[in-house]
Amino acid sequence: MKHAKYLITCSLLVAASVGLDSCSKSFLEKPLLGNLTEPVLANEKGVTALLVGAYAALDGQNVGGGTWESAPTNWIYGSVAAGDAHKGSDAGDQPPINLIATGKSDPSNGFFNAKWRADYEGIARCNSVLRVAGIAEGIAEETKTTLIAEARFLRAHYYFDLKKMFNMVPWVDETTTDLKAPNNVDIWPNIEADFKFAYENLSGTAPAVGRVNKWAAGAYLGKALVYEKKYSEAVTVFTDVINNGTNSKGDKYDLPARFEDNFDPAEKNNEETVFAIQMVAKAGTGDISSGNAGEMLNFPYGNSPFGCCGFYQPTLDLVNSYRTDANGLPMVDTYNSVMVNNDIGIKSNEPFTLYSGNLDPRLDWTVGRRGIPYKDWGNHPGYDWIRDQAFSGPYAPKKNVYWQATQDTYSDRISWAPGSAINIHVIRFADVLLLAAEAEAQGGSLTTAMAYVNRVRNRAASPQSAVYKYINDATPLAGFSTTPAANYNVKPYPAGSPIFAAKETALKAIYFERKLELAMEGHRYFDLSRWGIAPTEINKFFAYEGTYVSDIRGGSFTANKNEYFPIPQNQIDLSSTGGTSTLTQNPGY
Amino acid sequence: MLCLLFSFLFSQAQNQTVTGKVINDADKKPIPGVTVTVKGTKTATVTNEDGSFTLKGLDPGATLQFTSVGFQTQEVSASRAGIISLKSSEAIMSELVVVGYATQKKRDLTGAVSVVDVTKMNKQPSPSISDQLQGQVAGVTITTSGSPGEPAKFRIRGFGSFGTSDPLFVVDGTQTTNINDINPNDIATMQILKDAGAASIYGSRASNGVVIITTKRGRGKTRIAYDAYYGTQRPKVNNPYHLLNPQDQANLKWMALRNTAEANGQQPVYADPIYGSGAQPVIPDYILPFGKMEGDPAVDPAKYYVNPNYTDADDYNSFYQIIRANKAGTDWMGELFSPAPIQSHNLSASGGGDQGSYLFSVNYFNQQGALMNTYNKRYTVRSNSEYKFNNKVRIGENLAYSITDNPRITILDEGNPISMAYRQQPIIPVYDIKGNYAGTVGGKLGQATNPIANRQRSVNNKGMSNRLFGNVYGEVDILKSLTFRSSFGGEYYSFASRWFNWPTYENAENSQSNSYSENSGTGFNWVWSNMLTYSKSFGDHTIKVVAGLEAVNEGGTYLEANTTNYFSFDPDYTTLTTGAGAATHGSARYSRSLYSQIGRVDYNYKGRYLLGATVRRDGSSAFGPDNKYGVFPAFSAGWRLSDEAFMKSWKWLTDLKVRGSYGTMGNQANLAADNQFTTYNSDRSSSFYDINGTSNSLVLGFRQGRYGNAAAKWESQKYTNVGFDATIGNRLLEIVADYYVRRVSDMLYAPELPGTAGAASPPTVNIGKMRTSGFDLSLGSHFDVNKDFGFDITATFTTFKNKIESIADGIDYFSEESRRFNGNNIIRNEVGHSVSQFYGYKVVGFWNNQAEIDAANELARKATGDPDAVYQTEAAVGRFRYDDKGAGIVTADSRQFLGNPTPKFNYGLNLGGFWKDLDFNFFFYGVQGNQLWNQVKWWTDFYPSFAGGKSYTALYDSWTPSHMNAKAPIQENAGSFSTNTVPNSYYVESGSYLRLRNVQIGWTFNNPAIARLGISRFRLYGQAANLFTVTKYTGLDPEIGGGSNTAFGIDEGAYPVIKQFLLGVNLSF
Repeated sequence: MKHAKYLITCSLLVAASVGLDSCSKSFLEKPLLGNLTEPVLANEKGVTALLVGAYAALDGQNVGGGTWESAPTNWIYGSVAAGDAHKGSDAGDQPPINLIATGKSDPSNGFFNAKWRADYEGIARCNSVLRVAGIAEGIAEETKTTLIAEARFLRAHYYFDLKKMFNMVPWVDETTTDLKAPNNVDIWPNIEADFKFAYENLSGTAPAVGRVNKWAAGAYLGKALVYEKKYSEAVTVFTDVINNGTNSKGDKYDLPARFEDNFDPAEKNNEETVFAIQMVAKAGTGDISSGNAGEMLNFPYGNSPFGCCGFYQPTLDLVNSYRTDANGLPMVDTYNSVMVNNDIGIKSNEPFTLYSGNLDPRLDWTVGRRGIPYKDWGNHPGYDWIRDQAFSGPYAPKKNVYWQATQDTYSDRISWAPGSAINIHVIRFADVLLLAAEAEAQGGSLTTAMAYVNRVRNRAASPQSAVYKYINDATPLAGFSTTPAANYNVKPYPAGSPIFAAKETALKAIYFERKLELAMEGHRYFDLSRWGIAPTEINKFFAYEGTYVSDIRGGSFTANKNEYFPIPQNQIDLSSTGGTSTLTQNPGY
Repeated sequence: MLCLLFSFLFSQAQNQTVTGKVINDADKKPIPGVTVTVKGTKTATVTNEDGSFTLKGLDPGATLQFTSVGFQTQEVSASRAGIISLKSSEAIMSELVVVGYATQKKRDLTGAVSVVDVTKMNKQPSPSISDQLQGQVAGVTITTSGSPGEPAKFRIRGFGSFGTSDPLFVVDGTQTTNINDINPNDIATMQILKDAGAASIYGSRASNGVVIITTKRGRGKTRIAYDAYYGTQRPKVNNPYHLLNPQDQANLKWMALRNTAEANGQQPVYADPIYGSGAQPVIPDYILPFGKMEGDPAVDPAKYYVNPNYTDADDYNSFYQIIRANKAGTDWMGELFSPAPIQSHNLSASGGGDQGSYLFSVNYFNQQGALMNTYNKRYTVRSNSEYKFNNKVRIGENLAYSITDNPRITILDEGNPISMAYRQQPIIPVYDIKGNYAGTVGGKLGQATNPIANRQRSVNNKGMSNRLFGNVYGEVDILKSLTFRSSFGGEYYSFASRWFNWPTYENAENSQSNSYSENSGTGFNWVWSNMLTYSKSFGDHTIKVVAGLEAVNEGGTYLEANTTNYFSFDPDYTTLTTGAGAATHGSARYSRSLYSQIGRVDYNYKGRYLLGATVRRDGSSAFGPDNKYGVFPAFSAGWRLSDEAFMKSWKWLTDLKVRGSYGTMGNQANLAADNQFTTYNSDRSSSFYDINGTSNSLVLGFRQGRYGNAAAKWESQKYTNVGFDATIGNRLLEIVADYYVRRVSDMLYAPELPGTAGAASPPTVNIGKMRTSGFDLSLGSHFDVNKDFGFDITATFTTFKNKIESIADGIDYFSEESRRFNGNNIIRNEVGHSVSQFYGYKVVGFWNNQAEIDAANELARKATGDPDAVYQTEAAVGRFRYDDKGAGIVTADSRQFLGNPTPKFNYGLNLGGFWKDLDFNFFFYGVQGNQLWNQVKWWTDFYPSFAGGKSYTALYDSWTPSHMNAKAPIQENAGSFSTNTVPNSYYVESGSYLRLRNVQIGWTFNNPAIARLGISRFRLYGQAANLFTVTKYTGLDPEIGGGSNTAFGIDEGAYPVIKQFLLGVNLSF
């Protein structure tokens, strides 16, 4: 009896445990929740969605970088570092930017690491598109080619961004398995190849306005060729783009009469748009990461309606650049000989006299200054909107600021600083014209070059591109009068202008036109570096500006070093195996 | 533990009649209702009210059996019956300790097991077991916070991982990681399993130690107990950060401007919107409009307009706010903190008999936060019961249901209200001239926010969580020595909260939108275990074998949603549907499982030679198919030396046992459930894009979410422990000492991938190695001088050393916590060092004159051969001089380890005693030999670190040519490498402290009148918690809880531990 009991118990227990054991196999299989695996995406819809993801990294937000550190406008690296603008705010705020602004970039500066990471996430997303497209089934060949070409375009864009920042960067594509790739090979050929593939395989109109087309690829290829100093190849491509190019909607490339259209979200994706990053407001993300978060600091401070944060203040030097002579032409060499009146040290309730000399109206779409309509927000009050005039001057940024009349549609106040639906132009047609002018001038076609430059200047001179006084200063939303806000005088270079008679002066004029047209759009540092004039221009800027404003005092640009930013120390450390890194630091760091 | 005292009185057996009396061994009081059975017959009786019984017609050789629920059954020969003293089964319980899936006699333990004195622990006035446990157990380090309801950091023997090192809790056999809502009054026993010998049986979840808790059970006649306390909490107010008053604050600004101008060889220019432009700053009557005096038309109240409930930008843009200066200075801490009540009421009913037992308890706890609008309210009910069908089958349940309402602030960051109390300048009043909030609006007084506004606006934010936790079980005695037990336990929890984000107007940086959010979550985590226990003694051999199977399943969901743009901010109106603006929502789910086979053998010979072995094979869903299972064996042995003949002559040595164990434990807590998969996912903020150029809508996009690693396996820990337990005299001295070495290998860690990998989560891989060794000591001394006077002293001592042995290939360190140092991290975890050490430049003094700088630069030129070299970036007179480590130049390589937040040791000292009806208890807790990073100083001691409240140190003890022997460097207008923009040793301070954690003095009323009311116990007590703290730390409090294993000890906006004064009562019927 006792034995029987034992036997029954034991066999029951063994049976139970075996039963439990066999069902444990499925018990220990838990599904992947809220995620997909690669095979699920290996079809047309999946690859298209991965491509949208690759576009989504263009804004530099939530992609492993930072907010302003990886802003797609490069306002810190392209503009603040080049004398377009001061960091702004006060000394204690975001001090790494002070160091970048004064040429004291250090490899351990976290901003570079953030920028690096954001671009490589874009590249990783492009590589995902290419990898999954390779195994995807059921996609029509033509569609597949378009998807691949767009992904390669975007990849080339991210690499271009890295190339101009850091020069020697590792190339990682859809076939790379070792992520600790070396940076010992120049990647221009890879960038060119990607853009070329897109230029040759995309059509003129894109399936959606935010997607890139053949002409965007051509324009970007041309830009890359100019960076590589392959001017004649660039001329060929640019000529095609300028003569035949259209935007993604199929509208022929042109310059709209109103300069401000480039920065007005109501006018986005117009005929000047070559490659723009699409921004949104109030699109239900609960934040502003898809609405220009990279620029969130760059609004007037104090009692301004924006609240935050007083960064990105245009320089005195930049403002002076917009002075024109009696002929409406820029004063390329002497622009700093007279300073445009400013209100440093003058409180908002104290009287201030506006500069009465000739000015290029693009100034007042680029810079917010005392007494001039700040879009439809009222006349800029100066002092009250500026955090510390003595630290970084009296001016405010403008191109990234939305309009009061349309703020309900195009601004987003969900965060502690504003977001907006203003698109970011990676390339706009004015940029193409000026690059083409540069390539033509380098090739000796000075007349064509002048024609391109004049197209840009003519638009600046159009009445729609001037800033006008309000009908009533107290009610800025009531609209503008027909009285220009300042003494604007801008004209094209006249036929037979001596400036375009010689290559050297022509190039100087073209370079200066780029400064005026594209100021505060994150280009200048890279332009100065590739032109080889960064040391003289930037050191001249430090000397001039430092006399009046304290933040950039002590700044200096070291030739053969500061042309590129340092490879982030963190990345060098992360790419080491057995104590040796596969990444080499740039010279001078 | 109750004494083993038998007292037999011999009464003459009068032929066939036996009388006797049954008393409680503990209090010598009679026990009514005891069943007295003549063994082997059906003859039985029950004791009456005075415990006496009479049985007639017995054989003189009969054996009497005394049984009563709650007491150990006892057999006595009828001829020896007289006064029978029964020991309570609780006393037996206290000899038996619950260990992994079994019980063991305390004296037979071979693993490192600390048995917690629950009574002492319960003396701390906290609803949290963790808080109560601080300093009570050697080897356990607990760091608490003053924030009501904030979970304490609980570490058993240091750090076992870079990730979480929270122990596993096993409550009545149910595994959980959350004991925050367990009512400490319900706890019967608590054991801490520290080493592999004890804890390995919990396999893959054991590596950070296991805490075994059993809850109370009923016994005997119905007993009702009421325990309560009520008290007050007294925060530190009156400017505890030592901030300057408004005039001094302005003087500091002038000083900084002057210093900076002089350094540049210029005349200072004073042109301040608030303080004017005179040689001395003037505190104006108004700070908004800037710097106006009384009578100025700009401050005419008629102009005032603020609509605090504004909903559109145009309205906001038309505000005209007028704020008077608070010339006396606002004590923001004083505004934020105020004395607050705390109370706890616990009512329990318990009892038991032959057929079963029950315990029912309810607890109401309400701690109002000293910080405005924070509190911790908790309602708990528990029902534990057991039903016996016959002698062989028992079923029962232990269930607790709790409801918690606990709004808290985030702690330890720069943006919380406590940080705002030092960041907001004292010249700013709390309210403006019309009673709306005042603040930094206008941007000339910094960009801090008004902490009072923050707290008051949160008053209607509500949240509740609730949890049903416990188990049901059945036990069958298949044979006398073989028992089968099946237990199904777990938790079902849910929580929901809602909050409204107000638009602000009073700050320099305002959020102009209004939004409303809700979140909620629910989960069901269960454990089913089936165990067979065989225990038998054969002569001198005692063996216990446990074998079983266990399955754990966890799953739950989380939901959140937000809507903007509300027509009305009335909290009764705001719902997710009533907002007019964009709505966002999100959800997440989790699911994981564990399946295990468990075995355990305990053997001893004569109680002298003790052996134990455990093994567990765990399978986890989190691992890939090839690495699902892990096996975790452990062995332990003990030798009771005091039983050996050669020790018998040492009469003073009552007991001595040496122990040792070795085994493997695992950890899987740091592994994401989807780590084995390479995943793709979508996220609105990151992977969606407005591909159609609409300006207001986004199109779905995907991105890679994670790099998978199917090869990941258990983090494994080889654990060695040696120790001894000794008792000298009659508990004159009890010593438990242990030395251990924990070697963690295959440590699960997700090293950062190179940027080329993109932003997808890096896979967690098995690479790190870490070693922790330490020593635990507990001492106890008990003096029962006589029945009127006795006292006991217990002391615990915990020390350990931690060393990272490897991190990953090519990675020797990783850094965390840059705070305001912009990418320069404060904390470095480096191979060869312990976790979370402070790292940066070491301040060796000030540059007292230019000649010192010139000389150092000369040194740098020599050292580098570079004619332009400078010794130290931005070196200037009055700034910090950093240590160059002998290199002749200060570079990134000059950074060094500056301090270690891990204490050299911590200790607890408990002094308790009684004299007649009076009892007292003092409990001290101390931490020694650690450093803290006082990040508050970054804000208060450096003028350029954002405009905000500044300290006395900044104005009165900063470097000036006439005060070179200063604490802080020269005050300037801009920050620099050589002052406040990089981590340096200025922030490192000693964190050692000794705190009188608790004093309790009680009086028990032993009055016959009370007894007549049916009251068996009536005690009143007074208590003070955290009465004083001895420390050199200059921050508010040296106990800085929170932070992760690899980043802790940084004080910034910490919620200080607060003094409490209480009155309490213990009453039972």
